[in-house]
Amino acid sequence: MPRIPRAIADAIIAHAREDLPNEACGLVHAKDGQPVSVHRVTNVAASPYRFEMHGMEQMRLEQQRDERGETLFAIYHSHVASAAYPSQTDVRMAFFPPGETDREPAYPGTFYLLVSLAEDPPPLHTYYIHKGGVIEEIPAEIV
Amino acid sequence: MEVRVNVTSVIQKTVGGQRELTAEGGTVAELIDDIDRRYPGFRDQLVDEGGQLHRFVNVYLNDEDVRFMEGAATALSEGDEISILPALAGG
Repeated sequence: MPRIPRAIADAIIAHAREDLPNEACGLVHAKDGQPVSVHRVTNVAASPYRFEMHGMEQMRLEQQRDERGETLFAIYHSHVASAAYPSQTDVRMAFFPPGETDREPAYPGTFYLLVSLAEDPPPLHTYYIHKGGVIEEIPAEIV
Repeated sequence: MEVRVNVTSVIQKTVGGQRELTAEGGTVAELIDDIDRRYPGFRDQLVDEGGQLHRFVNVYLNDEDVRFMEGAATALSEGDEISILPALAGG
């Protein structure tokens, strides 16, 4: 079971609220498998229905992880009015090229973390999106 | 024109596991063709049959999105740095 420090969960929820009415997105980095930091990434789609991370911000964060010996724990985003569950678009975009779900996912071993602002307090759920586009919820413990 | 190319983990599998490589070309399209000669299949992941970059592929020239320049036809200069990565997106 993934263990997510309360401060990290709170930072994600705060980001989701601040970016209303649009979806918020970002990355959670891990050290030795444990989540250690939240990194907001600009949603260039600037939409309540979609997110698209700013590519250079994404690239620099990957380089930072490499330099620090960290890994990508989770890709997070908010749903402003729907449940904290991956949408069809989320599943499609979890593969590269998009929609080619017969491949391994683009970020194997990384959680997809969703927060919903449709409820208060906002629920936060973690998933794996597997080959075949199969969604598996992996309940996280907030510690 | 020799250019340094950075790719992310998702693309590195298609270029022999490297994150950084050098390639030649006078434009982004020529650069992609040069890499494709060494790593067949590379090109098809990035551009369509008409030679345009796929919607969810990001290419940056020295931190500038080439989509706001000339796309795949964007000219390169010696010493430029290109970053190629799939968009991280969803709904």
